[in-house]
Amino acid sequence: MRRSGIALAAAVASTGLWWVSSASADSTGVTDTAIKIGFVGSMTGPAAIWGSGNMAGATLAFEELNAAGGINGRKIEFITVDDETSAPKGIAGFNRLVQSDKVFAVFGPSSSAVGVPMKATMAKSEVPVLIPTFSSPLMTEPPTKNIFRVGTLNDRMQGRGIANYLVDHEKKQKIAILRQSDEYGATGGNAVTERLKELKIAPVANEIFNASDTDFTSQILRVRSANPDAIVVYGYPAASSIITRQLREVGVKADIIGSSATSNQNYPELVGKIGAGTKFVSNLEHLPESDFPAMKKFRESFQKRFPDLARQARPALSDVLGYNGALTMAEAIRRAGKDLTREGYMKALESLDGFSTGIALPAYLSADNREGNTKMYIAIIKDDLTREVLPGAIEAK
Amino acid sequence: MDILQLIASGIPAGVMYSLVALCIVLIHNGTNVVHFGYGDQIAFAAYLVVIVQTFGGAPLWVAIVSSIFISAIFGLFIYAAILAPLRRTPLLVQIIATLAIGTALREGMRAFMGPDPWPFPALVTPKIFDLGGVFVTSANIAAVAIAFVITAALFMFFKLSKYGQAIIAACENAKGASIVGISVSKVFAGIWIVASVIAAISAVLMAPVLTLSPEMGLIGIKGFCAAILGGFTSLPGAIVGGILLGLIETAAGYYISTAAKDVVAYSVLIGVVIFRPQGLFGKAQLKKV
Repeated sequence: MRRSGIALAAAVASTGLWWVSSASADSTGVTDTAIKIGFVGSMTGPAAIWGSGNMAGATLAFEELNAAGGINGRKIEFITVDDETSAPKGIAGFNRLVQSDKVFAVFGPSSSAVGVPMKATMAKSEVPVLIPTFSSPLMTEPPTKNIFRVGTLNDRMQGRGIANYLVDHEKKQKIAILRQSDEYGATGGNAVTERLKELKIAPVANEIFNASDTDFTSQILRVRSANPDAIVVYGYPAASSIITRQLREVGVKADIIGSSATSNQNYPELVGKIGAGTKFVSNLEHLPESDFPAMKKFRESFQKRFPDLARQARPALSDVLGYNGALTMAEAIRRAGKDLTREGYMKALESLDGFSTGIALPAYLSADNREGNTKMYIAIIKDDLTREVLPGAIEAK
Repeated sequence: MDILQLIASGIPAGVMYSLVALCIVLIHNGTNVVHFGYGDQIAFAAYLVVIVQTFGGAPLWVAIVSSIFISAIFGLFIYAAILAPLRRTPLLVQIIATLAIGTALREGMRAFMGPDPWPFPALVTPKIFDLGGVFVTSANIAAVAIAFVITAALFMFFKLSKYGQAIIAACENAKGASIVGISVSKVFAGIWIVASVIAAISAVLMAPVLTLSPEMGLIGIKGFCAAILGGFTSLPGAIVGGILLGLIETAAGYYISTAAKDVVAYSVLIGVVIFRPQGLFGKAQLKKV
């Protein structure tokens, strides 16, 4: 009886152990020679600005890694799905990658409009997800076990960083905010307002615009009437460039600062000479066109691999962040060792404490933090329409 | 002073809608088809300028002339390859075809030219005129002036020329027109070519102001609203409809709230449709029973 009791206890314990070990030893998508990584992102539709770059950057990173022998002897097999900038298609694409293609981990998506509605599906799947670009804080605040972000700075932090910069560094007191009407603009614009409130400053104007609008006269005249000494424009590049031009055209001379969405290298030409002096948030210490050695090396490899994208004056920020995200993913897979499991990979991501790929800001992740980057730089459009990152990182917490 | 600036900025904004509305009305008057892809056709013509100038290394004027020429051929292609074969299908099928043309152009441009906006060369030297505190730009003056010239030319063409009269005849009664010797298919092809040439001219005026991106074509929706406001059959109505829409949007945003700008502007549009379904310049259609 006693013996059988011990046997029973051992059986229970071993069953329990088996369950524990099966949960932690989930190595779906991993074989002796390959690791399946899924990519879901916007290759078409308005968010293709980011999605196509994320995929191009990641493709280059994985091809280079594979050419160098892979990670711990395994090659990366990259399976891609286009969400067409549609949340339902993003969810369907994510499910396809997880359920049919049985990928080990997912890279993407590329825009807040698609990513935020996907969060519940991602969380339920328990498949590790690494976000390389989009900036909604809803993905990491509060943290979800399997969702990580590196490279970019979330909009809440970005808004706070802009307010800190204008008040602490530039000593501005009369600040106007022009923000896009969607989730992107609301999060960033409201974060500026909140931080200003903490600094005992009320914005002199707070105006809203639609991303697809082509005329912003009413917003601009309201801002002009408030006579600000600095204007925050939190929106996508096309709308932000028209706003910047129109502000100058009606004689507004206040400093203008845009969100990181305006940090693409052709933005100065979109705005034109009239926009010289406009500032923007940069998620990079070294811009894609800079001669910083690591960036120059990346740019040359990228343009050789994608001559058609080079023709579009790329690499752009999204290409850099795609490459950076993929290399960060690869580093965590390498750290997770030969016995690769999802649990081990997520633990390895948590161990990235200041890991840098050399081309983007370092990732600081931990057991209770899924937001890799908390810093930003301010860059300026110069008179000859080149861009320059101003010295000194800004803490965005 | 702000009200003068509202007018000075609202009119050019509205003229952008007018240019789109003008050709939506022209095509509709001529062929009965509502071209929902017209905005994208304008964006396509603007991309053609960039392609010829940037990749072909041609001077701006060569790029513009090439764009006008290619647009004309493209207009003929739309008619000959897509809408002529569909002429016996229900009107709805033809309208869906124009939507498909627009979407294919937009996504094609995104695939070939990339999703990022492109800088577009200014047609006139960028200058800002300070008229006693009211600021007006050279680009906006050019857009307004050229829009009026195009409208006047079209108006005279339809009123005074024999070919214009033939088009009106073909539109009103295709069968009767063909009996008296008017080639209806040639008239339709002509309308598509003219509308496509105007698309290229509008592209050159709009792109430096609106920023060239695949989404620029979405201005077609505003043009459609302007056309409804103006009466959908009247060319001067399309111009006035566009300017009114621009002014209403601007004034609503300024005096009420920028968040409610579209709500107010489109409520006005719905009001017009309800209380004056023929639009501001259209004629009421009476049917005898």
